[in-house]
Amino acid sequence: MLAIELVAQGLIQGSIYALVALGLTLVYGLLRILHVAHAALFTLGGYIGVLVCNASGSLALSFLIAALVAGFGGVAMFRLAYQPLLSKPPYVALIASIGLFIASEEAFRIIFGAQGMSFTNPALQQQFVLGWGLQFKLAEILVMVSTASIIGVLAWLQARTRIGIACQATVSDPQMAQSFGISLLKVRDINFFVGSALAGFAGVWVALLNNLVEPTMGSVPSYKALAIIVLGGLSSVPGTLAAALLLGVIEAFGTIYLGDILDRNAIAFAFLIAVLMVRPQGLFARS
Amino acid sequence: MTVAAALALTTLPAWAQLKVGFNVPLTGFAAADGKSALEGAKLAVAQANAKGGVAGQKIELVVYDDQATPKEAVPSATKMVEKDKVVVAVSGSYSGSTRAAASIFQRGKIPYVVAYAIHPDITLAGDYMFRVSAMGEVQGRGGAKLVQNLGKKNVVIVTLKNDFGQALTAGFKDAAPKLGLNIVNEYEYVITDRQFGPLVSKIKYDNPDIIYASGYFFTAGPLVSQLRAAGVTAPIIGQEGYDSDKFIEIAGPASEGTYITTSLDRDSTAPATVAFLADYRKATNLGADMVAASSFTATSVAIEGLRKTGGKGGAALRDAIASGIYDMPIGKLEFNDLHEVKKDIQVQIVKDKAFRRHSVISDPVLLAPPTKAK
Repeated sequence: MLAIELVAQGLIQGSIYALVALGLTLVYGLLRILHVAHAALFTLGGYIGVLVCNASGSLALSFLIAALVAGFGGVAMFRLAYQPLLSKPPYVALIASIGLFIASEEAFRIIFGAQGMSFTNPALQQQFVLGWGLQFKLAEILVMVSTASIIGVLAWLQARTRIGIACQATVSDPQMAQSFGISLLKVRDINFFVGSALAGFAGVWVALLNNLVEPTMGSVPSYKALAIIVLGGLSSVPGTLAAALLLGVIEAFGTIYLGDILDRNAIAFAFLIAVLMVRPQGLFARS
Repeated sequence: MTVAAALALTTLPAWAQLKVGFNVPLTGFAAADGKSALEGAKLAVAQANAKGGVAGQKIELVVYDDQATPKEAVPSATKMVEKDKVVVAVSGSYSGSTRAAASIFQRGKIPYVVAYAIHPDITLAGDYMFRVSAMGEVQGRGGAKLVQNLGKKNVVIVTLKNDFGQALTAGFKDAAPKLGLNIVNEYEYVITDRQFGPLVSKIKYDNPDIIYASGYFFTAGPLVSQLRAAGVTAPIIGQEGYDSDKFIEIAGPASEGTYITTSLDRDSTAPATVAFLADYRKATNLGADMVAASSFTATSVAIEGLRKTGGKGGAALRDAIASGIYDMPIGKLEFNDLHEVKKDIQVQIVKDKAFRRHSVISDPVLLAPPTKAK
């Protein structure tokens, strides 16, 4: 039964990873930029979620506003930081991204305080006893359910709607897409918005699971999400999803059985190295 | 984040001032503790200056942000010694950075009074080092004693993988067999962890009588609440790192009944503690925690030393500090030959959303600090 519980815990963590890493994949697919500052939007989402929920008492509203603010924050980052650098080599944008991330960590500290913030009345804390000694918090169950449904809806939109197809076309061949009348700027805005909103959404979930948001809560996701998209075969959405869940489960088992040798973050990178030695293109690359 | 921000926080000097160096994490992961530490130190300086300072000179606190990392602590300490020419320095920081700064102050022959960093190597850096809190190993032994006092036997240890957590666990494991405790299992986690799902699941299967978990309030808050959420009901023992009202805020109702071994007794009737708790609240509008009380103490010890030497530093100040007996908010302090203090350990328990006195562990043999001989 411990094994089942560890798999479940891995999937919970993996769901969070998936929400954060998807935005990175979208950006990488579109612009070939490693968007480290993405994790700042995750933190922003967490803070907005706690602030809105404490002020209004509505968790649904806090999810909505956090996702919107993070989404527009992402578009602003693209327009102000990345767009002017698109003609430069990719490492220029990477440096800008790292700078942006560090600056936002300190900005969160200055604006919201170093102590971090918590919900005054954390929601979804009810216990579910499933038998066989399995017991979960409602929030833990809902994080998996909501991740699966959101990603399902997004996949459908991408495959079935005009704008979704335009996005796919832009990823495969920006010039060709443009000559078919697709606005590159619009597609890029939408991608940043969607990816960042997902990160903001994930931020609220983490705030709920830990009842704590801190200025530095994005520091681990900032690099672990990079590992996940590499593992998933850079810019492959299903690959990212699978890699995120797989990594969650591997970490869950690793923390327990390899914890004496490697800590959780080291396990993630050891796994990444092992995979890249066998499959340099990532686990799920299309080509 | 890589820029060492040097902040002179007191008003500009009108005449000669006595400079007291202070390294503290004001940014980065430990910034919350850093803020408490700085408030504690500032209160000590303000009180000394209100009484006319030392030998007619005002005391100036020279503050450096060390981000609780050695790479920032080394340049900060070097600047305090070379540029600011501080007469004495105080650490309001964690073990990693304090260890790194220690040897620099030792070389500069500047007494360094450490507030709450608990790694053993700090006082081993030399005779200019002083520590006002119980060393990690000693606190860990106190934790084992508490398990015995509570009548429990089977323990799971959860260790925060840094100087702080590892020193505590070492002490706990050292005392455990002597006290007849059985360590069922041991786990480690890193300071960035906030999601303890897998660990919690495993601990549930270990089914211990009690859990000894090291950490700071920002790791312990989520850990304790996740343990309770998964249905683990065994009592939990934490330490100084839990000692912040923020811990209770994060863990919420799950924090009730958590024990901590610490150095600040909030229900103390000792005049020094009562006065400090009231003064701190007046100055900051916040409740004091262990970090604030220890930093206040370390700074006050340094200032009392200066008072004895009339503001002179060096060997005279070292000897003055070493020979003093101090009545402080964290108890009566006296340094041994290694400049460690011998004191009781306060056990606090969370009751009705506040830390309250549970018991005091007083065992001169078990809690003896290391000496030069050992």
